[in-house]
Amino acid sequence: MNPPDSKPLEIHDLTVAYHRKPVLYGIDLEIGEGTLTGIIGPNGAGKSTLIKTIMGMVPSNGGWIRIFGKPAKKSFARVGYVPQRESVDWDFPVSVLDVVLMGRYGHVGWLKRVGKKDRSIACECLEKVNMLPFADRQIGKLSGGQQQRVFLARALAQESDLYLMDEPLAGVDAVTEKTIIELLRDLRNQGKTLLVVHHDLSTAKEYFDQLILLNMRLVAVGEVEKTFTRDLLQKTYGGRLTIFTEVAGQSAGVKEYDKETHPS
Amino acid sequence: MKGHPHSKWSLPRPPLEWRVGISWIILFLCALPLQGEQISSQGDSILERSHRFLTLSDESVRMVLLGTILMGLSCGVMGGLVVTRRLSLFGDTLSHAVLPGVAVGFLWSQSKDSWAILVGATVAGFLGVALISLLRKTSRIRQDSALGLVLSGFYALGICMLTRIQKMEFGNQSGIDKYLFGQVVGLSSSDLWTMAFSCLLILTLTILLYKELLVAGFDSEYARSIGLPVDFLQYLLWLLLAFAVITSLQVVGVVLVSALLVIPAATASLITDKMRAILIWSAMLGCMAGATGAFLSFLGNQLPTGPIIVLVSAVFFLWALFFHPQNGLLFKWLAARNRNQRIALENTLKAVYQELESINFQEETTSVSQLAKRRRIGMPQAHRETDALVARQYATVHPVEDKLAAPPRPTLISLTPKGWGTACRIVRNHRLWELYLTNEARYAPDHVHDDAEKIEHVLGEETVRRIERILSNPKKDPHGKLIPSQQDIDRGFIA
Amino acid sequence: MSANRQTKETFIPDFDPIDTFVTPWSTHAEIAWNGQIVTMGILVCLACGLVGSFIVVRKLALMGDAISHGILPGLALAFIIMKSWALFPMFFGACVAGLLCSFCIEWLQKKSILKPDAALGVTFTTFFAFGVLLIAMYGGNAHIDAECLLYGEIGLIPLAESLSLGGVDLGARPIVSMFVVTVLVIISVTVFYRQLMVTSFDFTLAKTLGLPVTLIHYGLMLLLALTIVSSFEAVGVILVISMLIFPSVTANFFFRRMPAILFCSLPLSFVYSIGGFFLARWLDCTIAGAMVLVASLCFALGWAFGPNGGLAWQLLDRLNDKPGNKNARSEGCAVEGQ
Repeated sequence: MNPPDSKPLEIHDLTVAYHRKPVLYGIDLEIGEGTLTGIIGPNGAGKSTLIKTIMGMVPSNGGWIRIFGKPAKKSFARVGYVPQRESVDWDFPVSVLDVVLMGRYGHVGWLKRVGKKDRSIACECLEKVNMLPFADRQIGKLSGGQQQRVFLARALAQESDLYLMDEPLAGVDAVTEKTIIELLRDLRNQGKTLLVVHHDLSTAKEYFDQLILLNMRLVAVGEVEKTFTRDLLQKTYGGRLTIFTEVAGQSAGVKEYDKETHPS
Repeated sequence: MKGHPHSKWSLPRPPLEWRVGISWIILFLCALPLQGEQISSQGDSILERSHRFLTLSDESVRMVLLGTILMGLSCGVMGGLVVTRRLSLFGDTLSHAVLPGVAVGFLWSQSKDSWAILVGATVAGFLGVALISLLRKTSRIRQDSALGLVLSGFYALGICMLTRIQKMEFGNQSGIDKYLFGQVVGLSSSDLWTMAFSCLLILTLTILLYKELLVAGFDSEYARSIGLPVDFLQYLLWLLLAFAVITSLQVVGVVLVSALLVIPAATASLITDKMRAILIWSAMLGCMAGATGAFLSFLGNQLPTGPIIVLVSAVFFLWALFFHPQNGLLFKWLAARNRNQRIALENTLKAVYQELESINFQEETTSVSQLAKRRRIGMPQAHRETDALVARQYATVHPVEDKLAAPPRPTLISLTPKGWGTACRIVRNHRLWELYLTNEARYAPDHVHDDAEKIEHVLGEETVRRIERILSNPKKDPHGKLIPSQQDIDRGFIA
Repeated sequence: MSANRQTKETFIPDFDPIDTFVTPWSTHAEIAWNGQIVTMGILVCLACGLVGSFIVVRKLALMGDAISHGILPGLALAFIIMKSWALFPMFFGACVAGLLCSFCIEWLQKKSILKPDAALGVTFTTFFAFGVLLIAMYGGNAHIDAECLLYGEIGLIPLAESLSLGGVDLGARPIVSMFVVTVLVIISVTVFYRQLMVTSFDFTLAKTLGLPVTLIHYGLMLLLALTIVSSFEAVGVILVISMLIFPSVTANFFFRRMPAILFCSLPLSFVYSIGGFFLARWLDCTIAGAMVLVASLCFALGWAFGPNGGLAWQLLDRLNDKPGNKNARSEGCAVEGQ
């Protein structure tokens, strides 16, 4: 389907600033197919921003993002996004099944109704996260872990190739956490690519194949064994380079005026 | 952006008094079309009218002016307090919610000038705001829906009562309609006394309780923790807001009073970001809008004062939005354009430097065609860029002396000392930053160039010094190129 | 007809069931006249209720308010230029003004340092003031009554000129245009239900699915503007906001899912319109205002007793949680006991 060299996700020199304060700076990243990658870093390191920028929710100030070899916008159909729990409007008048069905909307054309097949897929996905008994419940009336599982089910229903998840394990109970991780591994074994923002260092090593260490700039990316080292973690969670932070802020407003030849 | 090199290229900025004067003249000109056809029927000219207004010879003119200024003052101050708390639309809701109170007060006293209306309106406004809080506390209805519910529900009740009153016997004399759109001409001296009293109350309490209101508005949790009666302050704020709204009703009416709460305060928050200054500006703008509106509506032969006051404050708002020196969109746009121009110039200078470097500075000049080749642009564009350099005295051009060359003869560029200094600085910034990224931030050398392309234009002198210290005064960049030093800059290539 | 009746001394007239319920439907002429009023009321409530449900879940309730004020200058200009109630210029002018207003608000929210609510307040009040000024200056030529714009006069709807198409008399102009808009709203809401839902609930997902989110947003704004324009003659620019919000929030106390809430607009619009008609008949006041009073009453009932977060159930839950407090009878006691 893809040419072999088109990676699920490629990011080059990505810079994001908010009110002239840099959040992400000069990120270069490549994620290989069929991997389960965790993004870790201290608070305010730009983990969620990275995901949101990939999804086009936050404008970038420079650099480019490719998904499966195409500009991000053109490949959104192959991306499943699981938002942070706080960003969802839980009073919205939809039931659990409605939410999961939304994941199928990409497969149903305009002006067409949601078919039986989509309904059964949605139910299967709910079954996988053990949420089928709650299908008719309004989403606000679920516990935190259940809400997280609903959104996971929706991502499953999307049948995407690349999943971006913003803290799916935040504020869930131990049983749910285990279910979710099992599910993520299943997906990876099916050849899907997963990028997961994670807040808990103690479990990061156990859960993921690859890690991205982020603190405004990319500190390291790669196999867990190579990246989960004292030295690199120190660099990630230790302070920032002061000049770097200042100057990155100043440059945030400068758009690339023109590209020139490399001086060397 | 103080002390930044580009600031000398921005437009001259007229002093504040000029700007105020200019906007008054523009406003006056705006008044001319307002005459419409009506002025011709009336005998007197604009000049006569403005003379009558400005000399305050008319009793009614004095009343109207005083009324609008008092209204502008109290609405401005209350608006400042409300808008900074992100409660702009509470003012809107409150102004609609007072309507049933007005009707009840009128029913009670059977006259339109009475304290009963004031009391009724205050109670109704207060009930409306309390109902919003209650809705928020006891149901899942969101703030915006709750505001809309209370606003339209109370308003409907008020409208029903008013239409009913009009059909009753004593209702016809009421002219109670004036509460919908306001009727500044009908101001009586007792109305003015009420306005003056409430304005005084608002000013006094705002000044006395300034710091309490500030802390309660900014961080109510903290205010509670230091023992401030946050709820009491909140209710006090509503009460004062209700006073401001009700006393303004007769001038601008229910619908437009929220405009006077929001617009001057929003303008003030564009102009400054300090609470005290916002309150002062907002009060001043409110007064100015009131007075100017009264003047314009008088000129325009009894046009409705309320809408004109609102439109005048909207003009102030637009003026601040576009022409404010720091936040004005026009100046922001100009600054961005200036910066882009500067970056373009600096890129050209850098290309010239690199061209000279490629021949080891054996010659002082390079040609436009070489420049075009290095910048990967066409000849016309290269000529434009060269002309820009010459215009800023960064470079001089002279035709090539070789008589044999076929026309059009190539043009040679040589940098002036000023151009040389800037070029060196840019190249130095670029290469220092590349080195910093490679050595300190651990970037791969082949990834640093794009970044340095942007950074080179924004690095300040002080940051450069710090980077040099951190890197212990390096001589070469990661690609082995020499970094131009301060001596190179001082020496000047031509000298 | 209300105008013929004797004015009474008391503020709240005696309730006369015959006069309130029977007289309006006693003759053919009365039935035709009052039937048009009630039909118009139902159409207004239905269209507003359907569009409003989406407006409310998108947290744009105040945008509805803003647009309803913002259409005024467009209407006024259309009147001034055409010097009559011409249907298409009126719709065109008002829709352009309404969309311009919403665009200005969003632009200000994005480009300036103003807070969103302040940006909204500044824009719509300015638009409204401009409209009022235009009407005050030139309204004499165009027969617009500024007060009528504020609370509408649904009772005068049957007086409007008739529209005819190919010689067939279609009925009073406001009712015909309202009918067309209502049909348009129903069709758009059913056909684009999924798109509207997903863009309202999860903007990112909508983008992921490749939906044109901006187009859908402005499509909804256009639908909103159309609904407001066709309703304002009946209920005025301020009361139309209650027609937008009340059905949806009331239904929210009874139902948890969007289709049910949308469907609720239908019975509610009958209740509002008929109830408002009789209430206005009894109290001898404006029908539009009375419709909103009925809507408020329904809302209050829902708030008190609705199975979804109604106060009564909250109280019951609280009492059950505290066995020692079971004797508490009134709400006040329970609140204090908390």
